[in-house]
Amino acid sequence: MAHSAWPEWIYVGVVIALMCWVGAEAWEAERLVEHYPEDAHVIKVTGQQWFWTFEHEDGTKEIGELHVETGKAYKFEVTSKDVNHSFNIHDYVVLMDAIPGRVNHVWFAPDKAGEHDIQCREYCGLIHYNMRGKLIVEDPSS
Amino acid sequence: MKGVIGLLAVLAVLVVIPVAEYAFAAGDEPGEYLDRRVVIWNLFFRMMTIAFVVGAVVSGTIIWQVWRFRESHPKAKPTPYEGTDW
Repeated sequence: MAHSAWPEWIYVGVVIALMCWVGAEAWEAERLVEHYPEDAHVIKVTGQQWFWTFEHEDGTKEIGELHVETGKAYKFEVTSKDVNHSFNIHDYVVLMDAIPGRVNHVWFAPDKAGEHDIQCREYCGLIHYNMRGKLIVEDPSS
Repeated sequence: MKGVIGLLAVLAVLVVIPVAEYAFAAGDEPGEYLDRRVVIWNLFFRMMTIAFVVGAVVSGTIIWQVWRFRESHPKAKPTPYEGTDW
């Protein structure tokens, strides 16, 4: 039985348009989130059973605590010394796998002074639950 | 013919998408300061809006079809497959 096919074509067109739109939006968000600012400070983040080590650009190292300042961007170079970990600052939606032999990047720009939890988000052994750290965001000193 | 179209479709997925991603990465201009929480939440919000609207339209269409084309609907007509002895 012959019938008009235009409703089908409209349906297909709407679905394709929606998929394009969803893809473009997601792509744009990913681009915005992944491109770090030029003046971002680099912090090397190393995970190992069961603590985090942070190394600032000037060579200063911190263990289990990370001090940063508001109004600056920070680019984390995340790696691991033993097994897979995952570096997470929940309050700032920072989440990146720490993989041995690989350096992954993620960046953020804190906007308010305060203290936030850092937590490993990849099960990494017996004391994974306590592989925590503290992010301390301070106002610029001078 | 169908095989060729299928092959082209597979090639498009294998070649076009990586090339597009590569082209996208090529514009490696420095990013702007932004609050990733806001960007990610906005994306989530828009995607959820679309998901719920599409979900409502699709389920509404199915419900309407089941209601309209039930055997006991006043305007129901037999299909050729059901014979003409109605």
